[in-house]
Amino acid sequence: MLAGRDERARVRGAQRGSASDLEALFRMHWPRAFRAAYLVTHDAAAAEDIAQEAFLAAIRALDRFDSRRPFGPWLHRIAVNRAIDWARVRKLRAEVELGHAGSSLDAPGVPNDDAFRALRRLSPEKRAVIVMRYLLDMTPGEISKALLLPRGTVNSRLRRGLDAMREEL
Amino acid sequence: MKRDLERIAIPGEHEARERAWRVVEAAFVEREGVERRSRRWRIALSIGGATAAVLAVMSSPGRAVLDDIRAVVGVERAEPALFSLPAKGRLLVASDAGIWVVQHDGSKRLLGRYREGSWSPFGRFVVVSRENELAALEPDGNIRWTLSRRNVSSPRWTGTAADTRIAYVDRTGIRVVAGDGTGDRLLVRAGSGPLAWRPGPRFVLAYSALGSVRVVDATSGRMLWSARLPQGSATGIEWSADGRRLLVLSPHHLRLYDDRGRLVGREDPSEGWPDVAATFRPDTREPTVARLHGSQSSAYLLSGPTLFSGTGAFDRLAWSPDGRWLVVGWPTADQWVFVRATGARRIQAVSNVSEQFRSRSLPRIEGWSR
Repeated sequence: MLAGRDERARVRGAQRGSASDLEALFRMHWPRAFRAAYLVTHDAAAAEDIAQEAFLAAIRALDRFDSRRPFGPWLHRIAVNRAIDWARVRKLRAEVELGHAGSSLDAPGVPNDDAFRALRRLSPEKRAVIVMRYLLDMTPGEISKALLLPRGTVNSRLRRGLDAMREEL
Repeated sequence: MKRDLERIAIPGEHEARERAWRVVEAAFVEREGVERRSRRWRIALSIGGATAAVLAVMSSPGRAVLDDIRAVVGVERAEPALFSLPAKGRLLVASDAGIWVVQHDGSKRLLGRYREGSWSPFGRFVVVSRENELAALEPDGNIRWTLSRRNVSSPRWTGTAADTRIAYVDRTGIRVVAGDGTGDRLLVRAGSGPLAWRPGPRFVLAYSALGSVRVVDATSGRMLWSARLPQGSATGIEWSADGRRLLVLSPHHLRLYDDRGRLVGREDPSEGWPDVAATFRPDTREPTVARLHGSQSSAYLLSGPTLFSGTGAFDRLAWSPDGRWLVVGWPTADQWVFVRATGARRIQAVSNVSEQFRSRSLPRIEGWSR
């Protein structure tokens, strides 16, 4: 894992045009961005698009990025917000289209994993706070800021989400 | 829980990563082409005002380097005065001396000691405000009507050829008056500026209030929708020309809403690097943003390249009506910089702007009308 100082150097290198520094940042942060997007959307193709788009957004803003700040949380925040937007839109579309409630839990390609199944029972909003808290190691305060939610709402979603998952598990 | 989430196997993870890397790498290589050019601009422009003095003592090799930079950038040296505008239309400018209209040929007329102003929908009139007065003027300064109100600010004019409205803020809240100065009434008691009319025949107004942005039908007074803002109050609100997007700017958050109030876009600068201005490129839904990052500022299309960077702070952005030229207010350099955003890139800088408009601070461009 890139240490903070090394990451800052990589960001500065990428800002100066170094493709190898960009690749190091990509290899470091792609897995979490992709995983976070997947755990919110539960759709691998969408997660790929979302994580890729998050990196593209980061590249567009690279020259304006403050290299003293950590790159990962910024990127992950973009990915999770886009994943929530995507999940909300899909939910709306599913309600419009024949009341279809999303793909089956038994569909091919869906991980056969208890945690995944438990997470899948939650709303995208609750999934997002669980993923941000436990996968991305963000504090409730950071989640509150990233999702533009009151801290109390974040805490209650965390609590209810965890309770629901425990029941499922 | 962390272990549980990390061990979930995701189908096609490796292939997805490699596909994404190819796309990201290609985008980076393409960006670098753009960035190299813009970095050269930056170097050349930061040289800016000191150029003349440096040239006087520069050795021949040094002069050759500077000439080379100029040749690459294509920058004409900053003009000492605004001799003409690079595109058609007229500017409305606010300075310490008052509100000015600048014609395409660079001629200027001071309309009076007003603080803020905006063009009427077809650019035939100007609405201006000062502490206790709202006034409608012709661009040559003839006063059509005035209205005495306390603490007037943020005048905005909208409408069609047949019917127009002016919204403004005074001590009582947000008020609306017809374009002929009649029918003045209070629309919203607790609202404040900035204000933005939605383009179109209906009179729909967006405004800032209590940490949110609200959209109200000015005819019926009915609230159409509102959205909570992340922090603080909006510093800028603007509708796209088709009325389908609303841009809301605060220093650390930029939000795009559709016409029903659904969030459709966001851009949050990394902390400490505020966005100071944002505006739609004419006839598009594409925001242009000015951001301060450290000792540098950049003006860029939200979904595209950086158009212009410079040392110090920018304060205003305005597009020419044809969407080809962006003007950037650059207080640090006391310059307006006109950047051509289509075709071959060009920059036309004008220096000594404050002095030309009899102002201690850099004059604000309030609008560029057709």
